[in-house]
Amino acid sequence: NLQNQLQGKVAEMENFAGHLEEIFLTVEENFGRQEQNLEQHYNEVLQTLSQRYDDGASALQEEKKKKLESLYAQLLLCGQALDRSKDLIETAQEVHRNQDRRLFLKVMKSFLSGFLINTRVQPVLLERTPLADLSDVKTMMDSINVVPAPSAPVINPQTPNSASQTSLRVCWSLFSDDTVEFYELYYRPVLEEPPADSSIPSPPVVRQRDSSSCPEAALIRWESGNANPVDSYTVELREAGSDGAAESMVAVPACQCLVQLQAGRRYLVSVRAVNIGGPSDRSDVITVSTTGTFFHLLEDTAHPCLSISEDGFSVFYGDEELPISAMALDDTTFTRCVAVLGDLIPVRGRHYWEVEVDEDTEFRVGVAYEDTERNSYLGTNRTSWCMRHIRTPSRHKYEFLHDGWSPDLRITVHPVRVGVALDYERGTLSFFNADLEQNLHTFHCRFQAYVLPCFSLDNPGALTVHNGSGAPEHVFAITFY
Amino acid sequence: MALTQVSSNKCAGGFQKVFEHDSTELKCKMKFAVYLPPKAETDKCPVMYWLSGLTCTEQNFITKAGSQLAAAEHGIIVVAPDTSPRGCNIEGEDESWDFGAGAGFYVDATQDPWKSNYRMYSYITEELPKLIIANFPTNPDRMSICGHSMGGHGALICALKNPGKYKAVSAFAPICNPIQCPWGQKAFSGYLGPDKSTWEPYDATVLAASYSGPQLDILIDQGRDDQFLSAGQLLPDNLISTCSEKKIPVVFRLQPGYDHSYFFIYSFMNDHIKHHAKYLNA
Repeated sequence: NLQNQLQGKVAEMENFAGHLEEIFLTVEENFGRQEQNLEQHYNEVLQTLSQRYDDGASALQEEKKKKLESLYAQLLLCGQALDRSKDLIETAQEVHRNQDRRLFLKVMKSFLSGFLINTRVQPVLLERTPLADLSDVKTMMDSINVVPAPSAPVINPQTPNSASQTSLRVCWSLFSDDTVEFYELYYRPVLEEPPADSSIPSPPVVRQRDSSSCPEAALIRWESGNANPVDSYTVELREAGSDGAAESMVAVPACQCLVQLQAGRRYLVSVRAVNIGGPSDRSDVITVSTTGTFFHLLEDTAHPCLSISEDGFSVFYGDEELPISAMALDDTTFTRCVAVLGDLIPVRGRHYWEVEVDEDTEFRVGVAYEDTERNSYLGTNRTSWCMRHIRTPSRHKYEFLHDGWSPDLRITVHPVRVGVALDYERGTLSFFNADLEQNLHTFHCRFQAYVLPCFSLDNPGALTVHNGSGAPEHVFAITFY
Repeated sequence: MALTQVSSNKCAGGFQKVFEHDSTELKCKMKFAVYLPPKAETDKCPVMYWLSGLTCTEQNFITKAGSQLAAAEHGIIVVAPDTSPRGCNIEGEDESWDFGAGAGFYVDATQDPWKSNYRMYSYITEELPKLIIANFPTNPDRMSICGHSMGGHGALICALKNPGKYKAVSAFAPICNPIQCPWGQKAFSGYLGPDKSTWEPYDATVLAASYSGPQLDILIDQGRDDQFLSAGQLLPDNLISTCSEKKIPVVFRLQPGYDHSYFFIYSFMNDHIKHHAKYLNA
């Protein structure tokens, strides 16, 4: 309708105005940079010229001093010579008055020779001072308007997901000070003859249990399947039930791969190992779905008293005492809180799962950082957030724990199916009575790192994790208190 | 059903208005406040009714509670009526702050001299909604109710006595069990007479025990440092007990450091409006 059209036009105009503004700012910036460059250049030239002037002037000074000194010395000599001559003339006159002609001639002869020797004037040469060498200044002036050649771009190493059988994506970076008009890309295929004694590797071992997913992505993990190291892995995936071509991610360096996918679909995934002899056979195919957030429990983290069901989604805390030999001594298991972590995909989106419990189950469910303290109870530290249910003979008590603190609340209908909603962007962790769609409590926290779902039983009992179906509409429809 | 506009102020992109009309239930001129969010200029909006507590008029909520920004954000019309009929010249109506003028208790009185004018229950549940629907761009079947103290009592009983009429209900420091507290006993004996069985239909705890209807989802905030809580006027534990037994979903939050004032209401008003919006905009 007209209103929508007009609104669309307004949005376009705003967009356009935004673009113009960006261009304006860029031009301003560029010119600013040019001005700076010019100023810098001219400053250098001026500095050089000033330096040359100083050099020239002091050279002139030096010369002046030298020549004046030498002239002065000559003047002194002349003076002395004049004095001596005057004395001789007096002597001669006296001698002349004595009328001894022979003595007079002798004196005159010595007088004349002395006079001649002592009155030779040193010529003062006026040398031409050479002009300072200004060729470098000329070069500087010439280079002011020249744009320097850009630095060589740096090609990024090949990333996984960047190639298919017929195409390759190459990325490189440039220095922000460079002015670049275009790039030239050169390539040639490299043909290598495999050495004669190489063999292709064995296929990797991919298990359904090792992968996790959410509506936007999946994390596929596998074991190498080879005793010797392989060069890389190729991950192949295809949408289940479609005739579409398989996508492959080549050059995967490690035994895991995070793949971006479309929401609400199912995919078939397999992996090949690749070495110099070529690719292995395809591994077993697993199914990955993006209808919701899907994860398994990390059995390595489970407290020894917690046993996990065959299908991997229920946990039990039995009454029986476990033999000491069963107590694991590694630092990934929980040692006091009978807890286990879940393998949530490390994607900063929205995730939702549900936990099914009984009327009397005393549980803690929530999220924790991967390195949360294994020797403390969930919710009593700063690395975990959880909803806790305590059963007393007369009633149910609830706490929403983080760093040992909980708000004071009463909930009148005991939830037997707890919905947990994690929203990284909004920074919220919300708990629901999933059957009633009732919001119970929301933590507000900008999670600094990825968190993992956590589950614990404070007394013998059981709980079951349900995930993989999308969040009901009410969960993320509105920001909760 | 003529309305006279008393005031209008632009607020949070919409308009905070006050109107006056001649009430047929209360037989006097009554004022009420209406907040129209920006969305109301182009679309029909759901309506949240706010009932104020003892001594309040239609002014306290609109100036102190800080509801307009959230109402604008969620596109909700908020209606805040007065707390009793005014200017009826009934002897004794101004004697106490907790009975008579400013203390209607949201009941339909049966005793003289109150029964002619003091019909706040019918005013809130019948006359006012009809007036609002007729004069403002509303979604007639999307209404919810909320209130503070005596108004919290009002909101709870209106929701419990009219299953399905209100899509959401919440309260701040409500009087949960009036027949057991001094305020309730004084008001009910004055408006309804000595027979306690006539009080029970206006008591949220009693009504909860026999509630049957669409599932409710009640949010209650209570200041832990509320003097009236410690004075035994509010009695939330009684309501919680009954709702636990009868499986009526309630989330009751005890807020440390908060008292009975509008400062407390202001602090959690956003949460309540979001709670209402969840159901009104679903």
